[in-house]
Amino acid sequence: MRTPRRRLIAGLLLTPLLSGCFSSGGSSGSGASGSGDGGRLRVALAFAPAENYSPYGGDAYLLSRLGVTEGLTRLGSNGTAEPALAESWSGAPDGKSWQFTLREATFQDGTDVTAEAVATALTHAAGAAPAPAALSGVKLTARAVGGDRVKVTTATADPALPLRLTNPSLAVFSPKAYGKGGKVNPVATATGPFTLTRATGSTAATLDRFNDYWDGRAQAPGIDARYISDGTARANALRTGEVDIAESVPVAQIGSLEKGTVHETGTVRNTSLYLNTRDGVFQDAGLRAAAREAIDTSAVAEGVYEGYAEPAEGLYGPALTWAAGKRTEPAGRAEATNPGGRRVSVATYSDRAELPEAAQVLQQQLEKAGFRVKLEVRTYARLEDDLLDGEFDAVVAARNMLLDTGDPVTVLAGDHTCEGSYNLAFLCDEKVDERVAAAQAATGTTERQDAAMRAEAAVLSTDAVIPLVHLKLVTGIATPVKGTVLDPYERRLVSTGTRR
Amino acid sequence: MLTAGLVGAVGLLPWLSRTDPALTVLRARSAERDPTPEAVRAVRAELGLDDGPLPLLARWLGGLLRGDAGRSWVSGTEVLPTVVPALGVSLLLMAGAVAVAALTAGAVSARTLWLGSRRRLGGRGPGRTGSAVLAALPEFLIASVLATAVGVHLGWLPALGWQGPRWMILPSLALGLPAGAVLGRMLDDLLPAAFAEPWARSAAARGIPPSAVAGQTLRRCVPAVLPNLGLFVVGLTGGAVAVEQIFDIPGLGRLTLRAALAQDLPVLQTGTLALVLLAGVTAGAARLGGRWLTGPALRDGALHSLHPPATLSSPAVPLVLAFLLAAVIGLGLPHDPLALDTAARLQPPSAAHPFGTDALGRDVLARVAHGALTTLGAALVVSAAALPAGILLGLAPRLSGPPADTVNAVPPVLAALLVTGVAGSGPWTPALAVAAVAWTPLATHTSALLRQERAALHLTATRALGAGRRHLLRHALLPAVLPPVLRHALLRLPGIALSLAALGFLGLGAQPPSPEWGLLLAENQPYAERAPWAVLAPAAVLALLGAVAVTAAGASWAPRTGRRPDRGRGGAADARGAGGAGGGSAPPSVPFRHTTTVPASPPSRSPAPAPARTPDGTLRS
Repeated sequence: MRTPRRRLIAGLLLTPLLSGCFSSGGSSGSGASGSGDGGRLRVALAFAPAENYSPYGGDAYLLSRLGVTEGLTRLGSNGTAEPALAESWSGAPDGKSWQFTLREATFQDGTDVTAEAVATALTHAAGAAPAPAALSGVKLTARAVGGDRVKVTTATADPALPLRLTNPSLAVFSPKAYGKGGKVNPVATATGPFTLTRATGSTAATLDRFNDYWDGRAQAPGIDARYISDGTARANALRTGEVDIAESVPVAQIGSLEKGTVHETGTVRNTSLYLNTRDGVFQDAGLRAAAREAIDTSAVAEGVYEGYAEPAEGLYGPALTWAAGKRTEPAGRAEATNPGGRRVSVATYSDRAELPEAAQVLQQQLEKAGFRVKLEVRTYARLEDDLLDGEFDAVVAARNMLLDTGDPVTVLAGDHTCEGSYNLAFLCDEKVDERVAAAQAATGTTERQDAAMRAEAAVLSTDAVIPLVHLKLVTGIATPVKGTVLDPYERRLVSTGTRR
Repeated sequence: MLTAGLVGAVGLLPWLSRTDPALTVLRARSAERDPTPEAVRAVRAELGLDDGPLPLLARWLGGLLRGDAGRSWVSGTEVLPTVVPALGVSLLLMAGAVAVAALTAGAVSARTLWLGSRRRLGGRGPGRTGSAVLAALPEFLIASVLATAVGVHLGWLPALGWQGPRWMILPSLALGLPAGAVLGRMLDDLLPAAFAEPWARSAAARGIPPSAVAGQTLRRCVPAVLPNLGLFVVGLTGGAVAVEQIFDIPGLGRLTLRAALAQDLPVLQTGTLALVLLAGVTAGAARLGGRWLTGPALRDGALHSLHPPATLSSPAVPLVLAFLLAAVIGLGLPHDPLALDTAARLQPPSAAHPFGTDALGRDVLARVAHGALTTLGAALVVSAAALPAGILLGLAPRLSGPPADTVNAVPPVLAALLVTGVAGSGPWTPALAVAAVAWTPLATHTSALLRQERAALHLTATRALGAGRRHLLRHALLPAVLPPVLRHALLRLPGIALSLAALGFLGLGAQPPSPEWGLLLAENQPYAERAPWAVLAPAAVLALLGAVAVTAAGASWAPRTGRRPDRGRGGAADARGAGGAGGGSAPPSVPFRHTTTVPASPPSRSPAPAPARTPDGTLRS
C-alpha cells in the first residue's frame, strides 16, 4: 500500500530537485525604496555572453554597455576619442608612441589604478590569441612611465591609437583579474560604475553599484541583466513590466510597444547590397550600374524598416555628423547596360529579421529592371563560409561602419581593398586602394575624415557596394526610467545617471 | 554501438559539411569581427583543430571516461555544468508538456470512452476533425499566441522566463496540445475495437460500472501508444527550440542548436549523448510500462485482436473539408503570390485581399493558394517515403527499435546537418533530412501494434492451422497494423510540411519568396499580433489539410475493414473468428484476477447484447 506519508516524503524530496531546474531569476527587484536612489534597473539584452565575459571578444561590448568596464579613452558622440581612465594624452612626432596620463581611480576590488596595472592590462590584451579585433594587425607594447603615466608604442605609426583604445576589448582590469591560460575574470576587477557580482551562465547577470567610481556614484543601486535572444520575447518582457530597458527591439515589434517607451537612435550601421565583382554577372560594371539604378532605397526604409532607417546617402550615415558636409559625388561611374534577363543569386541571413524582407523587396526591384533573381536566406553561421568564397552574385548585409576602432578608415580597409578580410564585393580597385591607403596615413581627425570621404566616393564609383539604408536602433525604455544612454556606437547603455 | 556511431558522426560534422569550425567558433564568440586569417589561425591553434577530427574525438572520449566532458570551444567553460542544468530545465518542461499531452489525449478520446463504456458507441466512428486540427497547429504558433494573449494582454501568467512552476504552464500547453492531439487520435483509433471485445460486452452485461470498463479499455489500448509517447518525450527534450525561444527558457534545445550552428563539438556531443541516453531510458520504460499494463497475456499469446468494428463514418465530412480547401486554393490561384507592394503592408482582410496582406504587402490568399502545391507535394513525398520505411522497419522491432530511438533523439537541426554532410545539399536533401527522422514514430507505432497483434489468440489458431510466417504477415498482421499506422502517417502530414520549411534557415528547402506554408507561417510569425490574419490563414489551411487527411482515411478504411472476412474466407479470417470465439479473451490481466472485475465466460453463455460484433465487424448472433 502506498501511504500518504510516503508520497509526502517523495514530494518533499522532489521539491528541491525541481527547483534546481528553474533558473534563479534576478534577485528580488525591491531595492531600496524611498531612499531617493530608485530601484535596481532590470535590463533585457539581446546577446548573451558567448565567451564567459572574456573581454577580448564580442562580450567586451556587453560589459561596456552594462557600465562594468572602461578603457583609457572612450568614443565621443562626434567620433573622437574622449578621456576616460586617461585624463590626457599626447603622441610622439613619429606617430609610433603615445603617452597617457591617468586620472585617480580605483578598481572595483579596492586597489588603485596605477600605470603598472594599466600597462599589465594592455599587455595582456595585446598578447591574447586571437588578438582583439581592435588590435588586428597592430603590434602594441605598453609600459609604465612613473606612477601615473603609461607609454604605448606600436611597431608602425598609428595615428588612430587613442581611437583604438576606446574599444571595449582594451578595457583595464586589476592585475588580479588575469589568471592562468590568458583567462580574464571580470567579476569585481574592472573600473566602471557597476560591478559584475554574479553571472548565471548565459541567462542572467547581477551587477551592483561600485561606490568608489571616479566619476561619482551611480544613481541606480544595481542592475539585473537578462539575456533574451528572441526579439518578441524582449518586447514582451518590457510590455509585462518584467524589465525596464529592452535593448534593440526588432522593427516588427515596435508597433506593439506603448508610444512613450520607444526610443530610436541613429546608428553607424548600414544595410548594403554587395555585388560580387570577382565572379559572375556583376563583374560587368554596366550591370552593377543597372542594379544601382533599379534600386529604390526609400521602399526599403519605409516598407521594411517602417521608417526606423533612413535611405542611404553613402557609406557613412547621418549618425556620423561630420560626414554630411564632406560628401563628394562619386565620379566616373559606368553607364548602365541592359540586364537582359540575366540570372543572379542574392544571399542574405535571417539573424536580422529585416534582412530577408529587404532582400525580397530588392528582388522585385531588380526583376523589374530585367534581372532574374534567386534568393538564398540562411542563418549567418551557415552562410559565412559561402559568402567569403564568393558563391553568390550579391549579398544583402548589415555592417557597422565604425567597428572595433571607432576609426572610419579601418572598416574601409577591411571591406573594400584587395587585401580586405571581409571584402564581400571582392573589390580590388587601384583607385580605392590608393585612397584608402592615403586615409590610413592621414594623422589629424579632420584629415582622416576628409580622406575617408574621398575613399568612400572611390568605393561608390565602382558600384560594388550599393548602400541601402542607415539603420536606427530602437530601445524600449519603460516610462519611469531616466538617463539611459542611447549610443550610436552601441557601446554604452547604462551609466551613472540611469535610474528609475 | 549506435550511440558511439552517432557521437562519432557529430565529431566529424565540420569535416563532413566542409565548414571550418574555427570560423564558426570565432563568429559565435564575436558576431561582428572580421575573420582575418590570423584570427582564424589563432582559433585553430587554440582548439587543436589541425590534429584532425579523430584525435579530437579520442581526446574527448578519453575525458568522458573520467567524467570530464571537456570545455566548450566557444566559451571555454566546462561542458557538463552547462549541459546538465539545461537538461534539467528541458526535462521539467517536457514533464509539463507530457502532463498537458495526457490531458489532451484524454479529452480527445473522452467521447469514445464515455460512449463506449456505456455501449452506446454503435457504429459511430471517432470524432476526427477537432483533434486533427489541433494536431496540425504548429507549436510556435500556439506559443506566440499564448505568450501574447495570456502573458501580455491578460497578464494571467508570465509571458517569458523560467523561474517557477507558474512559468511552466504556457510553454507546456504549447508543446503538449498538438502532441496530445496526435497521441489522443492514436488512442481513439484503438478504443472502439477494445470496446467490441467480448469481455467488455460481458462486463457491461454484468453491470460493471462504465468507469471500470473504461479504465480497463484504456489499459488495453495505452500500451500501443506508449512507445510513441516515449518518442515524444525525447523529441521534446531536445527539439523544443521554438518554444524555448519564445518563452526564453534556457533549455537543451537552444543549447544544442547554438552548439550545432557554432560547431561547438564538445557541447554538441555531450548534448547528443545525453539525449540518446535519455532515449534509451525512455524506450526501456515504455517497454516495461507496456508489459506491466498488458500483463502476462502478452507472453501467453492470450490477447484479442484489436480490430475496429466497421464505422459508419460518412464521406461527407472529408468531402466538405476538401471542397473548402479546394475553394480557398481556387480563389487564390488567379492572384500573384509574389507581387509585393510595401505601401499596402499588413492590411486587414478586405474585398481586394480576402485574407489580408503580409508584411511586404503581398496577398495572403494568393500565397496560401500558390503554396499549396509545393507544400503538399513535398510533404506527400516525404510521407510516402516514410510510411513504407516505417512499416517495414517496424516489422522488425529488434532491428529497428534502437535506431528509431536514437534517430528520434537527435535534435532536428543536427539531423539535417548530418544528412547534408553525408548527402550534400541538393534539391532532395531537405526531403531526405525530414524523411530520415519521419519514419521513427511510424516504425515505433507499427512495432507496438505488432507486439500486441502477435500475442493475439487468432494468430495462435492460424499457426495451428499450419499457416506460414508469410501467410501470417500478409493475411493477419499487416491488415491489422496498416490502417492505424496509415492514419497516423496522415495525421503527421502537416507536421512534415512544417519540418520541411523549418530547414530553410540552413539553406535547405524552400527559400523566400516561395509561398510554402511553413515559410508563410515563419515569416509572418513576428507580425502575429499586428496582423494575425497573415499567420492564421496558413495555419488554418494546414489544419484543414490535417482534418481532410484524417477524416478521409477514416472514411476510406471503414468499408475495407468490413469486407475483409469475405476476402480472406477459409484462411486467416476464419481462424481469427475461431480464436475470438473459443478463447474467452479478456483484458490483459483478467484471468489472474479471476472474476472480481470481468468474468472470463465462454461465449456460449455470454449474455452478450445482440447483435454483437466480432472484431472483424461480422455480425454474430
